[in-house]
Amino acid sequence: MATAPDFETYCQELFDHKTAFGKPEVLKGYRVLSCTQYILGPSCASYLGELGAEVIKIEAPRRGEPMRHTTPFNEPLLYPLSRWAPEAGTGLGFFGANFNEEFVSLDFHRPEARQAMSELAAKSDVMVQNYRPGTFDRWGIGYQHLSKVNPRLVYQWLGGFGGWGPGRVRASYDILGQAQGGAFGITGEAADRGGTPAKHTIWLADYWGGMMAAVQVLAALYWRDTVSGEGTFIEYSQVHGVTRMLEYALPLYGRYGIRRERWGNWDTELCVHGIIQCGKSSYPDSKNPQEAEVGYILVTAHTDEDFKKLCDVIGRKDLATTYAKHDDRVKAQNQEPVYEAIEAWAKDKTKEDVAKLLDKAGILNQPVWNAKEVSEHPHWKLRGAVQWIDDPMYGDIHAQGPAFKMSDTPPRVKWTMKPVGTDNEKVYGRLLGWSKSKIAEMEDAEVI
Amino acid sequence: MADTTFPKHKVLPWPAVPIPTPDEVYRGLTDQAKEYPLSLEAQLRQSDNFKKPENLTTVRVLDVSKGMIIGNWCSSMLSELGADTIKCEPPDGDPLRWLTPFGRKEYMFKDAETGEPIGLHFLHEMRNKQSITLDLEKEEGRELLKKLVVHFDVLIENYPPGQFDKWGIGYRQLKEINPRLVYAWVGQKGQWGPSKDKPGNLDPTAQASCGFVHGTGLPKEFGGRPTRSAMWMADQAGGTSTAMGILASLLYRDKVSGKGQFVEGTAAEAVIRILDYNWAWYGMDGSIRPRYGNWDLAINIYAVNPCKDGYFMVGGGHDRLWYRIWRTVGQTRADLEDEILDDKSLRVVVARLPHTKQVKTYTVLADWQKDHSRADAMRELLAQQVASGGVNYVDEVAEDPHFKYRGHVDQFEDRLYGKVLYGTTPFIQHKAPGRLKWIGRPLGYDNEEIYLKLLGLGGGDLAGLKKRGVV
Amino acid sequence: MSSEARTTIKPGLVLTCTKCSSKNFLDPYPFWNFQGNTKCAGCDTIYAVKFVKGQLVSGPTVGSGKPDLLPGYAEDKNGAGITGEGQIRPAPQARPDPFSGKQKQISQSVRGKPVSGHPLKKEELVGSRAKFIADLHRI
Repeated sequence: MATAPDFETYCQELFDHKTAFGKPEVLKGYRVLSCTQYILGPSCASYLGELGAEVIKIEAPRRGEPMRHTTPFNEPLLYPLSRWAPEAGTGLGFFGANFNEEFVSLDFHRPEARQAMSELAAKSDVMVQNYRPGTFDRWGIGYQHLSKVNPRLVYQWLGGFGGWGPGRVRASYDILGQAQGGAFGITGEAADRGGTPAKHTIWLADYWGGMMAAVQVLAALYWRDTVSGEGTFIEYSQVHGVTRMLEYALPLYGRYGIRRERWGNWDTELCVHGIIQCGKSSYPDSKNPQEAEVGYILVTAHTDEDFKKLCDVIGRKDLATTYAKHDDRVKAQNQEPVYEAIEAWAKDKTKEDVAKLLDKAGILNQPVWNAKEVSEHPHWKLRGAVQWIDDPMYGDIHAQGPAFKMSDTPPRVKWTMKPVGTDNEKVYGRLLGWSKSKIAEMEDAEVI
Repeated sequence: MADTTFPKHKVLPWPAVPIPTPDEVYRGLTDQAKEYPLSLEAQLRQSDNFKKPENLTTVRVLDVSKGMIIGNWCSSMLSELGADTIKCEPPDGDPLRWLTPFGRKEYMFKDAETGEPIGLHFLHEMRNKQSITLDLEKEEGRELLKKLVVHFDVLIENYPPGQFDKWGIGYRQLKEINPRLVYAWVGQKGQWGPSKDKPGNLDPTAQASCGFVHGTGLPKEFGGRPTRSAMWMADQAGGTSTAMGILASLLYRDKVSGKGQFVEGTAAEAVIRILDYNWAWYGMDGSIRPRYGNWDLAINIYAVNPCKDGYFMVGGGHDRLWYRIWRTVGQTRADLEDEILDDKSLRVVVARLPHTKQVKTYTVLADWQKDHSRADAMRELLAQQVASGGVNYVDEVAEDPHFKYRGHVDQFEDRLYGKVLYGTTPFIQHKAPGRLKWIGRPLGYDNEEIYLKLLGLGGGDLAGLKKRGVV
Repeated sequence: MSSEARTTIKPGLVLTCTKCSSKNFLDPYPFWNFQGNTKCAGCDTIYAVKFVKGQLVSGPTVGSGKPDLLPGYAEDKNGAGITGEGQIRPAPQARPDPFSGKQKQISQSVRGKPVSGHPLKKEELVGSRAKFIADLHRI
């Protein structure tokens, strides 16, 4: 028998995203209805689509859902928005939350919609919706209605504040969730260093919230299919999710009345473990301001041994004496002189210069990479973390890969998204038995 | 020497303001209007949790990760949903156990039985888990692990890439011992690839490597720099997405294949997945997404700006809300409302997006906000049906009536650690909700029970293992 | 843009120049607790200002010297935007070329392959997608 390959090669072959399509899918045979808008609801359904579920996205006729109409700086759009509006496009705000889905349109306000939804739900395993609490119930397609049609249905509602309690009427916005839930107020440079609270650049509450909801859907499906045979109703509040993320803040406040505050790019629990500025740009000749900016790098040297090595490298052996013990250098008042010294040393270097010198000394570090550096980095490309998709609708699209890897039944990106109502005929014909003429009629009347 | 007079300030018991009652919350509503929220409460209130089953009762998880929160977070996702979860630490503990902000030992809690301190970050993520110890650096420890995994559905580890394989307890070896085992490796950037993990890499390594740090914080033009999340948030996202992979593996095993598989979850790739349009935008025209502070590249009004008593969020991308926002502003500052309404170039939604227009919009808005507290601003905007809210500080999060009423924040009376205020599980469900059973365990608390129950090792065996430093 | 009856804004984060009537938008993040010199983007007049928590506590006083911080944006007395380099602070940019204000016409990805990134006409569609993309996938 041949010698087993070395571990890294073994992993590379096992998790190669290019061989994913030769492997089975976990959620083959499962159907998910995605009656969702923006990011929170759609992303939950999208993660299930990556695992192989047939996900049907249901949007307003013609215009589709609002997120199609947002795009950074108004500039990049993918065309057509729909076959009715080829001159319009879908913005990149919509991108990433709707992978692998079939796209149909339906006007929920029309009387025919209730029947159509009921029939679709009868044939589905999961319903994901993030309309205001009570809306679907008023339309006759709430959990109370659809669970009678299909007791095995896992019905996932998502939103900002939930459907009960004093704040139930409040609208759901990602950054509102970040702000109200507490993550916004503790992120950013410290107040007494002139800093302000900082928004997480991603829709953290919504996109990560969608992952949390998908975890619960998968757990509910697991329970249904191995134990109970029953569906269930799940309520996910995105601001609740944010509050879950606050680490030691709540226990500390609860017992000792001490409020966690911002600590910028340093760490409250470990020193040295912080992001410092390097004085030189890595691309000084670039005309792109993003590249012309100076570099930044994370330096990790919190063990006594590593800290001593770091102090040698930066020419400040005195610091290793003054702050020899971690308990000393992790103190709030001591972190500042330590990081200032590291930054002073890095003032005439690029982040790559710094990384090289630290690597040589065996000190852990991570340069702060921008979107281009990540996109072009051989590590991320090899791993399929970012990948070029030959998208059947839009052509050559650069996209993110699935969040995690599985050896036997990997998640995968098949296509990125489609125009509004692309699959009306396919889905309504196949699943509801509508004739071609009925579909045309319904489209003309803008019921679908 | 512990400061026995800590804290010196008076601490308000939680809740400082009583939790509203249902009558107070729904006062003034007709019966018909109350019906829907009350029907939800009947299905979802956490007080009924323990009358209901759990999704993952049949699943047993062994978490041998250490030093990074990603493994603990991942196993928390499962333990909150009912998985029988055991945290297996080195004999001197997971290093995270001993961490505390700014090295302040007085922040740590002590358990009632042994007086052993525990760091609050680790405590918050030890929920529903038992603690055993095992030294995997020793051959004897690894042999015990091989015996243990027979009894588990899931193993979570985060040792340096290839370490377990080298020790003979990697996926390749353990799957021969227990073919049904779902084996999850978690880390920052991966077990393979030109930039794979080095021993000791910790978040925000992942945040810095994936574009998150570069994109967060005030723009350079505002005097800002790239900023990390306060939290080890890539680990949190990575732990959540790995839990997805684990659950998917269990589902496939029990429905189709009868076999486990290898799941690899990295903190960086979880965040790359959710860095929405970074990658597509780059692919279309080489754009490198810039930091835009607390404003948005794609929507105006959708931002946080300073106000009289802190920072305040207002959202209103479409016309309906745009005009209502300025109507609200106009109630006290007609000059500011007029300035916006008179500007023809701001009439069309998409025309409000250029940076210059956002500067004008938010300067005018902030000129109104400077005279309003978060509470006042929110109230005035709500009257015009505009969504808004303040940036909350931790104490405000803890005391928000909505969060208290719904149990987003709760105080648990733990048998070992006393009253602990904590962020509750967001896994709210009708039939089989997530729940907290206990918040934490001292190191090795459950050695006796677990080694006996699973491996039939009695007191004498265990004593021997302890003596040899295996446990 | 009408030049008569423009709104007069109370002194604050919007600095109306006494010399040329330009409105200078002193954006909230950098100016909230700023003390020093800024300048009118319209006519380069130096103004000393002091803000505490966004409140204008002193100034704007015409002064001399160099500006410490430029406005984020400005409009002249007719409402026309002033955006020149050295007049206002630069906008964050994703590329070398500045924001265009219009939907971009993209027909090729950054690596030179076809992408449907520009508006289409009905006759350029096959079903719900661009014909030139459908043609790529024709077997």
